[in-house]
Amino acid sequence: MNMESTLNSGKVTCKEVMHHICENLKEDFNSERCRTIREHLDKCHECQDYFKSVELTIECYKKYNMDLPKEAHDRLMSILGLEE
Amino acid sequence: MDEQQLVLAAQAGDKKALAELVNMYEKTVYNFAFKICREPEKAENTMQETFLSMIKSLHQFDGKSKLSTWLYRIVANHCLMEFRKKRHRFISIDDEDEFIEDNSAADWSTIPYQSIENEELRKILDEAISKLPPDYRIVFMLRDVEGFSTEETGKMTELSGPAVKSRLHRARAFLRKEINEALKR
Repeated sequence: MNMESTLNSGKVTCKEVMHHICENLKEDFNSERCRTIREHLDKCHECQDYFKSVELTIECYKKYNMDLPKEAHDRLMSILGLEE
Repeated sequence: MDEQQLVLAAQAGDKKALAELVNMYEKTVYNFAFKICREPEKAENTMQETFLSMIKSLHQFDGKSKLSTWLYRIVANHCLMEFRKKRHRFISIDDEDEFIEDNSAADWSTIPYQSIENEELRKILDEAISKLPPDYRIVFMLRDVEGFSTEETGKMTELSGPAVKSRLHRARAFLRKEINEALKR
């Protein structure tokens, strides 16, 4: 499907929906415009895939953590003069 | 002792209370610093600078906000200063239209995100975020990864709500596009 296509409603384009996803993910979805976007999302597989991929992007960075090495902890306490 | 009591004791010179506060937050500070600068050595340096700064200014801390919020702000400021000192050049991401124009989505079902230990995936994530300008990176990490509200993120970064939202919008679109392209290769 082309980005500029509007499905059957003629109210909103895929590109507008994709912008909206990036802008309003996790925000309130109760306005009239949000309802229109949601109706589009319910029908458009391309926008659904886009929505999932933005969510996955965030999920990946959430899961990507770095443990504090014991040596780094020891050096910190030593620098701060707080050795155990 | 709870956090408030520990802060009061540390402000009065109790070293044990101070050590407990450092122990409480060192992992959070290190991990957040790593998420911004993406290098263990720089993350350790930022952690040290953050706690040195905390100790220096602890007497000014009035307890109106959480200590962790205060620490996140110090980390963010320190990382931004480091990036500015090194004069890194980042591509402009002012035109978000450029990142939304994407007619061919990769197969995201292949992403092994359940196993973030996957080296290939880590490399893709590192490369994508390293291209993102640091002020956008900090907003994305505070808002989406650490879960702060738009208002809290704005306070920590000294940005207005609309500015936080605008940076977040672009950061999400940019990172999604970068990962999408890497998955297609």
